[in-house]
Amino acid sequence: MGNRINWQTYIGVVLLWFIQLGMAAQGMPLTNEAAKLCQQKSYAAALKKADEAIHSDAESRDAYTWYVHGFVHKEIYKEEELGNRQSTHRLQAEESLLHAMKADNAARHEEMIKLALKYLASTYYNDALQSSQVISGNDESVPRKLYADFERLMNVAVPGTDFLSYQKELEKSLGQHYFAMWQRDTEVAKWRELATKRYESIIAMDNTDSDAYYNLAVIDYNRAVFMYRKLGPDTDMFDAITLQEEASALIRTRALVNMEKAYALAPEKGEVVRGIMMMHRALDHEKDVAYFKAEIERLISEGKIKADQHK
Amino acid sequence: MFSLRHMPIFRFVLFVWALLFAMSSSAQSIPDDNTMAMIRANYLYQFASNSNWPSEWKKGTFNTAIVGNPEVFEIMVSKYAGKPIGSQALNVIGATEMAVTSQVHVLFIDRSKKAELANFVKEFKGKSTLIVTNWEGALAQGGHVNFLSIDGSIRFELNKTAMTEAVITPGIKILQWAIE
Repeated sequence: MGNRINWQTYIGVVLLWFIQLGMAAQGMPLTNEAAKLCQQKSYAAALKKADEAIHSDAESRDAYTWYVHGFVHKEIYKEEELGNRQSTHRLQAEESLLHAMKADNAARHEEMIKLALKYLASTYYNDALQSSQVISGNDESVPRKLYADFERLMNVAVPGTDFLSYQKELEKSLGQHYFAMWQRDTEVAKWRELATKRYESIIAMDNTDSDAYYNLAVIDYNRAVFMYRKLGPDTDMFDAITLQEEASALIRTRALVNMEKAYALAPEKGEVVRGIMMMHRALDHEKDVAYFKAEIERLISEGKIKADQHK
Repeated sequence: MFSLRHMPIFRFVLFVWALLFAMSSSAQSIPDDNTMAMIRANYLYQFASNSNWPSEWKKGTFNTAIVGNPEVFEIMVSKYAGKPIGSQALNVIGATEMAVTSQVHVLFIDRSKKAELANFVKEFKGKSTLIVTNWEGALAQGGHVNFLSIDGSIRFELNKTAMTEAVITPGIKILQWAIE
């Protein structure tokens, strides 16, 4: 996942940067002092110098000055505000790094500026996923905004990034949040419908995503199980039969259909094989149950899935 | 000269999240409930409460025995045991307890024990024991009510003659919903 930079490239970039720094640092005392203090983890003092540097006529036109200013803010964010979605240091770091990218000599420091921006982008992504788990009601604005920030910075840091897997993860995370809300109160159909929409949106992006099919199947299967759980001594026979037919149709026409798609895409994924087995059991398909039970045993014996999870 | 070094951690931030999500990639779980057992248990209760037994069978507990299906047994115990069947309280018993029980009102024999049906039919001949099964052809072998699976739904068929011989009268709801 992600566009990672390999170590050889990284070391090469750092060496190149050392050489450039020797030239760039000359005549930039404020910036140099800020960088030195930052390295010593004296962030308050480093920030003071970096602030002076970006307001200095002599140094403020240089990309390196803005890079150091952004870097110091980034380090303070990491030390003091990591996980704070409203972090002002992250915002300052981002602004300074983007400013550095626009400087006349930006090309000399571009690789390092982009690395710093990529780091900031990744924090927005993490925050987007984390915030998706704690949204209020169905207001997705916070994770969506954070995700948009991630894409915006990544487009600068790593132009041409393919965002499909990231988009899918966000949708999945939101789907899981809504599913969890539904589990807390299964009578509220809104949560189930929102979860369904999120997984359907993943399939719209990528119709080979087995997890999305699996999760859709699980939603409908759970829905059927919740109906069966209502059966009891007070249930009238007519109601019991009606409820059963509705529940079995849900499994037969929706849950099993999606689980079969998940299985076609991931035939050796333990939870999928167990899922399809459970659905056939719910439909009294004896032969299919026996087949998938045997499949689970095979996958366990081949070490592809753990026995304790699928017994 | 000095340098500002990017901590290697930045390279792993995305990876960490990817890992966390991979670990819980399909975090939504499938409940273990055996829905077939749930519906069969409910039917057994419906058969009990919607049929009529001879007056001498309306004393003591209303005994329902389950053979060969521990899940149906467990659901019967947890959901229906103690509930009233007329003036009697429903009592759920397992196959091993049956020998000491003189009256079994409803006996469910799962297909996993189909080979034992003939013995049970013989043992309960002349008694008002409603024998319920869940495999094709069981009515011809002496069962009174047999579960059928139709498109994943459970329905049932009756052997009215055998029920009459056992002096058990199916109620209108049983007759209404039975598959002819």
